[in-house]
Amino acid sequence: MISRKWFGALPALLCLAVAGCTSQPSPYKYTVVFSQCNNSEPYRAAQNNAMKKLWSEQPDVHLVVMDAQQDSVRQIAQIETAIRMKPQLLIVAPNERAPLTEVMKQAVEASIPVICMERDIVEPNYTSWIRVDNRAIGRMIGQFVVEALTKKYGEPRGNIVEIAGLKGVEAETNRKLGAHDIWDTYPKIKVVTESVANWSQSLAKDRMTEILSAVPQIDVVFGRSDPMAIGAYLAARERGRENEMIFVGIDGLSGPSGGISQVKEGLLAATCVYPLCVDKAVEIGSQILRDPGFKPDKIYTISSRLITPESAANSP
Amino acid sequence: MNTTFWKYLRHHGQPFIGLLLILILGTVLSPHATDGTIVFLSPGNLTDVLLQQSEIGIIALAMTFVIIGAGIDLSVGSVLALSACVSALFMMVWNPHGPLVVQVGLAIGAALAGGALIGALNGLVITRIHLQPFVMTLATMIGVRGFTKWLTGNVNVDLAFGANPSGRFAELFSSKPFAISLWIGLAIIAHLILTRTVYGRYLRAIGENERAAAYTGLPVAGVRLAAYVGCGALAALAGLIHAARSHQGNPNDGVGYELDAIAAVVIGGTALAGGRGSIIGTVTGTLVLGLLTNVLRLHMVDSNLELMIKAVIIIAAVWLQRRSTGVHGDL
Repeated sequence: MISRKWFGALPALLCLAVAGCTSQPSPYKYTVVFSQCNNSEPYRAAQNNAMKKLWSEQPDVHLVVMDAQQDSVRQIAQIETAIRMKPQLLIVAPNERAPLTEVMKQAVEASIPVICMERDIVEPNYTSWIRVDNRAIGRMIGQFVVEALTKKYGEPRGNIVEIAGLKGVEAETNRKLGAHDIWDTYPKIKVVTESVANWSQSLAKDRMTEILSAVPQIDVVFGRSDPMAIGAYLAARERGRENEMIFVGIDGLSGPSGGISQVKEGLLAATCVYPLCVDKAVEIGSQILRDPGFKPDKIYTISSRLITPESAANSP
Repeated sequence: MNTTFWKYLRHHGQPFIGLLLILILGTVLSPHATDGTIVFLSPGNLTDVLLQQSEIGIIALAMTFVIIGAGIDLSVGSVLALSACVSALFMMVWNPHGPLVVQVGLAIGAALAGGALIGALNGLVITRIHLQPFVMTLATMIGVRGFTKWLTGNVNVDLAFGANPSGRFAELFSSKPFAISLWIGLAIIAHLILTRTVYGRYLRAIGENERAAAYTGLPVAGVRLAAYVGCGALAALAGLIHAARSHQGNPNDGVGYELDAIAAVVIGGTALAGGRGSIIGTVTGTLVLGLLTNVLRLHMVDSNLELMIKAVIIIAAVWLQRRSTGVHGDL
């Protein structure tokens, strides 16, 4: 009976073990919480790494990264708990617009400075929003596709397949709208199908495999992120159809598995750099921490650039 | 009273001791907010936990009934998503105009009716065609998920903000006083049904030995059917809180919720084989899971560790159950 009772203590002992390992007197002056929507996407991992590196240059700052694992409810709960900790700065990369709006309001109301990164929310419940103009990015890719099709057929015509990210997210909506701003002016350019793959490379591969069975002639695959474009490429390669079409994406991460390398290797015809926004977030964030008189702008827009095989040669 | 209390604690005490120790250690180890207060004990934090656990808590209440009746319901996560989407669709797409009461009332009514209907389908097939509960509810889990995705075109349906009826709905159902008192109120009702009514006695008897119960003339099919209908309806109710809290109907939400609910029930000491269990245990089990997550999050522990620790606790709880029933046969 005694052992049974002690067994009930197991959860608490586990807590003690885990929490004990992490609770030492804080040598830090500032706590910064970064609520990341999903660590498992390469773009997000690059953000986390940049965030850790830049904040580590400020030894009095303790950075905590919370991973919501692409679950808005989990992200809400994590931010609720973070608010109780009263950090000096909260940086949020929201998973979705509507779900995160209310909890970010709670953070602002608790007098915590909030920086919203790239994705927006429904109401401006943040101190600053660091945005990238996704519609402009969509237009850049749209224009590239028009030029590529013109080169292929002598006139702007062809069949396009779109692989969409998470619906309802600003990036998905505006990247699509931007590309269609361009394509809709050319009646012979047709989007034959759009499939949703929620930013996931493996889902994109599955969706593309189905599309390849259904659509006989494809000229361009527009993945709304590089991993999804690569997923589609892998599906086409399995069918031996990868040379029939070109693949374009967005993200343009550097590094050996990033989009820029994939353009260099010829897997992607082009990608657009979607800036990590981390440099700006850390720059504004540390000013908020250290300069009580600092009044940040409500919105900062970070510019982007197109990566083609020619420009990739000059990129890191 | 004292002997009864100690006897109860000896037989059912394991989750309480776990809960008590988490509370004590949570307090001792709690980080202090930058203004010096003990974060863990702050009313704001504790009510955060109650709010965050209210969805699983409500589902777990109904799951307790199903499991005591020697069944299982794997479809609750899908029903939650269906309810969230149906209510959002009613307010935003199908019936976007009209007075607040009608709009919100219809959305709530349709969501709850849908949940109860799926529960009835589960119950009927299980009791009439004698399909195993695991298989039948696995099928509805898959089918209802597909139906929800088809209904929404696999696109999230966002609720509006402000004075719009859907905004008001979200405000009410996600508010702490409403969601928490709903959970507590339902827990009290469930406890009374299980311990003070004929239905509760029948359910336990059927879960303990269905054949014997049938021979003595108990309405086996009706009692089990009611448990599944209740489970569907409460999963739908949790779906309404979910829609309000996440401010949308998302056809992909609620995956794995059935396992969280079952975990809460099991940690609370309810026997998976049926026949024995308590609502107090289930509520305690739900709180153990919620507070554990909270303590770890307050310490900024990697969220993947949460899952690993949850796993260990579930194994421990089931092992303990088997051991205690094997050795004592009286738990």
